Amino acid sequence: MIRLKGVTKYFFPGTANQVKALDNINLHIRPGDFVTVIGSNGAGKSTLLNTVAGVIEVDEGRIELNGKDVTDQPEYRRAGSIGYIDQNPLASTAADMTVEENLAMAFMRGKRRGLSRAVTRSRVTAFKNTLTQIGMGLENRLKVPVGTLSGGQRQALALAMATVVQPKLLLLDEHTAALDPKAARLIMDITDRLIRTNNLTTLMVTHNMEQALRYGNRLVMMHRGKIILDIGPKEKQCLSVPDLVKKFTQSSGDVFDDDRVLLAQAE
Amino acid sequence: MTLENVLINALEQGFIYAFMAMGVLLTFIMLGFPDLTVEGTFPFGAAVTATAVVSGISPIYAVILGSLAGGIAGAATGLMHTKLKINNILAGILTTSALYTVMLRLMGRPNTPLLAYDNVYGQVLGWIGISQDQLTAVQNHIAIILTLSAVVLVTRLLMGWLLATDLGLAIRATGNNERMIRNLGVNTDNTKLIALVISNCLVALSGALACQVQGFADVGMGIGVLVAAVASVIIGESLFGKRSVGWLLTGVILGSIFYRGVLALALRLGLPAHDFKLITAVLVLGALSIPLLKRKKRKNGVLNGGTVPRWHRTVLNLLDNKADGRDVAR
Ligand SMILES: Nc1ncnc2c1ncn2[C@@H]1O[C@H](COP(=O)(O)OP(=O)(O)O)[C@@H](O)[C@H]1O
Ligand SMILES: [Mg+2]
Repeated sequence: MIRLKGVTKYFFPGTANQVKALDNINLHIRPGDFVTVIGSNGAGKSTLLNTVAGVIEVDEGRIELNGKDVTDQPEYRRAGSIGYIDQNPLASTAADMTVEENLAMAFMRGKRRGLSRAVTRSRVTAFKNTLTQIGMGLENRLKVPVGTLSGGQRQALALAMATVVQPKLLLLDEHTAALDPKAARLIMDITDRLIRTNNLTTLMVTHNMEQALRYGNRLVMMHRGKIILDIGPKEKQCLSVPDLVKKFTQSSGDVFDDDRVLLAQAE
Repeated sequence: MTLENVLINALEQGFIYAFMAMGVLLTFIMLGFPDLTVEGTFPFGAAVTATAVVSGISPIYAVILGSLAGGIAGAATGLMHTKLKINNILAGILTTSALYTVMLRLMGRPNTPLLAYDNVYGQVLGWIGISQDQLTAVQNHIAIILTLSAVVLVTRLLMGWLLATDLGLAIRATGNNERMIRNLGVNTDNTKLIALVISNCLVALSGALACQVQGFADVGMGIGVLVAAVASVIIGESLFGKRSVGWLLTGVILGSIFYRGVLALALRLGLPAHDFKLITAVLVLGALSIPLLKRKKRKNGVLNGGTVPRWHRTVLNLLDNKADGRDVAR
């Protein structure tokens, strides 16, 4: 499905501020995999997703999508097969446009956009179906500008946009992190349900260890640009948060330094 | 000037500049692209039209030619910005500067008088069997206004249709959330280019129609037209627009008429015409700085929430040096 081989990414290469954000990443995601990604701040999780989506170019290595080398493909060419939701609710939707217009844009994901009407009756039926599946009542607010929705509603819309046309790969970058706990839980439940009913291949970054263990069939842990743990379904099931922290310390020789992760543990 | 003349002036000038206002709405507000090309495109549209008329081309085709020429200027700015990564403002300035030479070469001098030639309004009257000479001055103005209003109406409907298509949505999203629409598979270089071409076609159409009314084209006729268009758009947006794209389009047309009406009225009240540009600048500055000041307050934690209007976002982004909306990583 998707394969990363020796992917390396530098920021500010050749300067005193050089950062090796990704360090020889090898990862193979099979169709139907739901991989959770966890790691301390600055581990390179977002950079990993951005390279897969084509938002940023890699310096070394190659990325294959369905056996096809897409390393040099710009983001807009990969978009047809990849859905992407960012942690910032403002990032994945267009605030000045209405709910139905946002969905209409997502409906054309990766297709040629021409001069046919964007919001047609038949499309609206499809939008309503998707929104009903999400279950937050957005199907009754199709003509509302997205800027007037709450953060949780906007992420729910982003989920609807990512799935209104089935993507081959869904990338979620801490997409519940900016929400209040209640909204976060709701969005996470919806996400899990959507992924399972549509059998979506997913790469989900989370800062919540519990979440990382509860959802998905595979867990990847990153540290300083490297993948230090890759845990399959069997082992993942019997793992607890303290086990995971221990494993992190063993593999990285470091203390897990992300306050948010520790706080999330305490919740 | 009589009140009747004020009304005629407001409608005639308002309609002529309405195309430009719609063009500026498209780039400045919807695309978030402060396109300074328009100061050059406006006289360029007039210069091409005038040259075409003088060389014997029928006025209606000359006007169309002038409008299309504006589109080429828009494409030049767009290509500079998207392919050569030139800052959007600088790209517009470069095109405007180049256009100045092109216009002088084209006309052979800074000014082309057209009074000796048929104009497009006379041509339209001719289609229904009326000669401009049969009409009084006022009747002629009314004929011009009716012709213009029909073209404005058609343009308004076309723009409304365009902005509701898949392509139109992609253009609007490019200005609203470029990262998102790129993520949905749109090459935003193309949407920017298309919007700039359409916008500058509209601006040049204003220039072409203006030279047909006033009977000459001049390389200097673009000075200050941008700030006037901006004023029309702000008036239109705050008085009529905001609710939807349709209202916004209609709003800027009404805003253009309103703005020209205010100028005509000021002229009637005895204000000298050369004061207008300063007054307009102060008005625009005032309208723009209100939300800026509000935002400053919010930064200090006094005000919370509230949205900055679309229009001002372009200006704010400029101040934040993010006019491109491009990510740091790219
Ligand atoms: N656009 C960027 N420009 C420069 N440095 C960046 C950029 N994005 C990320 N980095 C750096 O790369 C490293 C990895 O960042 P990131 O992938 O965002 O981490 P994570 O998402 O795991 O917290 C960090 O050191 C960060 O400072
Ligand atoms: Mg991150």
